[in-house]
This record gives sequence, structure tokens and C-alpha cells, in this order.
Amino acid sequence: MKNKIIIIFVLSLFLSSCVAVKEYEKVNINDPDMSLSDRKSKKFETSFHVYREGASGVNGGKSGGGCGCN
Amino acid sequence: MKILLSLLFCIPFILLAQTEQDTTSVNQKYSMLYKKRVLENIEIDLLGSFYTQDGSNAAVTGGVGTEELKDLASNLNISIPLNDDDVLTIDATISAYSSASSSNLNPFLGTEYDDDDERRIGTITGGTPWVASSGASKEDVWKSGVLGFSHSSDDRNKIYTTNLSFAKEYDYTSFGVGLGFTKLFNQKNTELGISANVYFDTWQPEYPIELKNYMNTIGKLNTGIFSGIDILNASGNPIDKNSLTVWKPFNNKLIDDEKRNTYSLSLSFSQILSKNLQVSIFADFVIQQGWLANPMQRVYFSDVDNFYIGNAANIINYTNPINTDVFQLADDIERLPDSRSKVPIGMRFNYFISENFVLNTYYRYYFDDWGINSHTLNIEVPIKISETLTLYPTYRFYNQTASNYFAPFEQNLSTEKYYTSDYDLSKFNSNQFGFGIKYTDIFTQNHLWLLGLKNVSLNYNYYKRNSGLEAHIISLGVKFIIE
Repeated sequence: MKNKIIIIFVLSLFLSSCVAVKEYEKVNINDPDMSLSDRKSKKFETSFHVYREGASGVNGGKSGGGCGCN
Repeated sequence: MKILLSLLFCIPFILLAQTEQDTTSVNQKYSMLYKKRVLENIEIDLLGSFYTQDGSNAAVTGGVGTEELKDLASNLNISIPLNDDDVLTIDATISAYSSASSSNLNPFLGTEYDDDDERRIGTITGGTPWVASSGASKEDVWKSGVLGFSHSSDDRNKIYTTNLSFAKEYDYTSFGVGLGFTKLFNQKNTELGISANVYFDTWQPEYPIELKNYMNTIGKLNTGIFSGIDILNASGNPIDKNSLTVWKPFNNKLIDDEKRNTYSLSLSFSQILSKNLQVSIFADFVIQQGWLANPMQRVYFSDVDNFYIGNAANIINYTNPINTDVFQLADDIERLPDSRSKVPIGMRFNYFISENFVLNTYYRYYFDDWGINSHTLNIEVPIKISETLTLYPTYRFYNQTASNYFAPFEQNLSTEKYYTSDYDLSKFNSNQFGFGIKYTDIFTQNHLWLLGLKNVSLNYNYYKRNSGLEAHIISLGVKFIIE
């Protein structure tokens, strides 16, 4: 419980201390390689992980449905 | 783990503090006056890949045997701006594979059957888990289509999405539907997303040939594929097919529920932390119900007598690739619970180091109620060697604990309710090394008819498990736009 409170407190400070980056300052953030998702070219790589591994999800791939995979 | 979940649920409340300093009325008016199109042009992504793997723990043959597999796949993704706010996405995939292990659904060479699988036309000449058979199950084509639609609000701070999906392979059909909502705050520095997907899947089950034959002939071992063929005991001696100690499957019933439904809820949060740094946290909550085992996959019990077809002299070499002509008859297909809950929680951290280097990191923790716990770590450092060329060295580490129901070949017990020898559910770790290169045509100077080239990328990855499985995948992607 103590750990939870500390982490939430630190995270709150962390977020509230963020300075909002203006649109015109987002040149680097908007770089295609800064995208917070997998590149489309990794689609089939993600698919084979879904088939070959027990874990799946939160990576842009399937999380169990749509195929006879794990 | 509980801490991570707590953090995830606290995020919306933490954000409330930030939204106060959110978009000012000036910004809102500005957005209303100047509304940039969500997508300027039609975008077309073409992707092709070739995947190959090999190993020695095929699930179709109960955890031993060749896992050789080759897959050739192609994908077409078209994004069409319908107006300033709406985008329609069409995604189509075809994946054609040939698999040695799947071919051993029927490992007996030279066998042919009529439509009811009851009459043997050819002559059984042998079978082995170590060599691909020529059966129809050696290859298949997986086809998939997804139709997506997204709508963005005038101020671009709200995005609504929906999708319909369909997938089909020889023994499996899937229908899916999804809905999503994304809200941007804090001058688009913060993003919260929620989405839900449901899949309604159905097996058209295919079974190991000996089990299928046994069910079809109501256990008569002198008919069907067994007609005129000796069944050998563990000592290599032919058994009396009319005696009490004959081979028979452990269960008289194979699959009793052909449905498999998946319900998935996804939450995501992303935050720009500075001009060069952004982070995202996301989680899925997945429930699956129905037939979650694969009816093609054999299981052999340690506490049940073994029976074979083929060369008696090679029984002793059964688990060795030198065995080319003897096959052990299955005790059962794998049995797994009819429900499974999965929770993957992930995080991305992207840092724009300089004009030439970007750091992309990804971490995922996963757990489910089948006993699998897993960690995934991915690091990629895009290197921009010029305005048009970028290199992508990548490393990925993955590990997992074994499912509660997994045991290797001949180590499951018939007294258990659930059992499998699928090594994808075993304990293992893997390392993956990759390299990619992308050429970007900044001004879309190259054209192919109406299509303007945007970029071309080539990626290669090598994957190795500590259990022996090795895989290679190479992908080629081309992105066009229609202006």
C-alpha cells in the first residue's frame, strides 16, 4: 500500500510538471520514428509472435481472436 | 503487478488536474477556423513477407517431430479520406503456408481416402513425426479482411473508430467487430484511449487421422486406415486387434464446442513529456471462451500403453530424427480449459536523441489464468544516415513461464483434466535480432502511374528460442500516396 502511494505521488508530480509542448514545437515528436505504435512493416513479425508465443496483446497485434493461435 | 494496475486506473484522475490548463478558448477558436484534413491523400501500403522456421517439438505430433514451416504473406492497406474528418481503411491479408507438422495430421505416406475417410485406397508405407507427409493438411491459406472507419471531431481532440473483421482458413472462421474512442487533452500533449473488440470464431475441426478413423469406424481396427495393417505394441510385436489390450483413444468424444469467442477491452494513455520525449502505457483485458485447444494437436500419456504403425525396429529411435518409418498412435488430442483470461500491460518510451538517432523502447508484462507469465522487451534505434535513408537495428527479448497444462512428449498423465504438449505454451525464452532499412521519398518524386512513392522498407529478423526453434522473417513494404 505504501509503495502504491509513493509511486502514484511521484507519477502525479511527474505529469503535472510536464510543460505542454506547443504544436510548433513538436517537430521531433511528430517524426515518423517517434510513433508510439509499431511500424506497419512489422505487421507480419507481430503475427508470428502471436502464433509462436503464449503472450499476446498491447503491441498492435491480435490478442487471441481472429486465428486459431494462442 | 497490482501497483501497475493501480497506476493505470489512476491515470484518468491524474489527468483531470492537467486538463484545467488544457486548450484555451483561443486555441479552440483557432482550431475551428482552420481545420486541417485528418488525412490529406489516399495512402496505400503494400507489404510482403517470407517466414521460415524449424525446430523439433511439433505440437501436431505430441511435442516431438519437425516444426518446419514456410509462410508467404502479403497485405494491402488502403486509407481513404472521405472528407476533412473521416477516414475509411481497408485492410486485406493473404497468408499461404506449408507446414511439415500440420502435414502429419495424416503422417501415413501413400494413404488416400474416400470422402468419408473410411476406405483406404492406397497402401500405408510408413509414417514419422520427423518428415513432412504429403497429406492435404500440409498447406493452407489464411485470408483476412478488416474494414475500419474513423471520425475526428472539429477540434481534433476526439477520435471515434469502428471496425469489422473477417478471417478464414481451412479449419477456422472468424468474425470480429470493434469500437474505440480517443480523447486528446492538454494541447494534444496527452491522449487517452479506450477500445473494445469482440471476435466470434468457429472451428471446422480437423483431427489426427487415427483418431478420426477410430471415431468413424466406431473402434473397428480392421477397417478404414487400419485395414490390413499391423498395429505394434511397445515391443514391436503386432497386437491382436480383437483382444482387450488394443489401442484406443483415451476419450470417445473429440471436440464438443466448435465456438471460440474473444472479448477484449483496451486502455491506452500517452503523454508528451518534452519536445524530444514521449511515453505511453497501455493494457488489454481479454477473456476467451469456447474451444481454446487445437484439435489437430496430439497428446501421448506416460501412464498409457504405446502403440505404433510402421517399422518395429525404429520404435527405439522414435524421438530421434533418424526415425523415418514408424509412427505412434495418439492417446488423445490436447485438452484445455474452455475459458482463459489474459492481461498484457505495456509501455513505450521514445526519445529523440538527435537529428540522427532515435531511441524506441517497448516493455510488456503479461499474465493469464493458465499460469503463463511473460516479459517482453524491445529496443530499436532508428539511425537517420541521410534525409532519405534510415536504418533500424532492433533487439527483442521474450520469456514466459509454462502453462499449468503443459508437459513434454509422453509426460502428461491421463488422470489430468487438461493437458497439452504444445511448446508454444512451455517455459522458454527467445532472442530476436533484426535489421531494417527505409528509403523515404520526401517529395514523392517517383511515380507509378497515379501512385506517388512515399517510402520503401526492408526488414529482416532472426528469432531463436532456447528450446531450439529458429525462425527467419524478411518483409518488404512500399507506401504510396495518391495526390
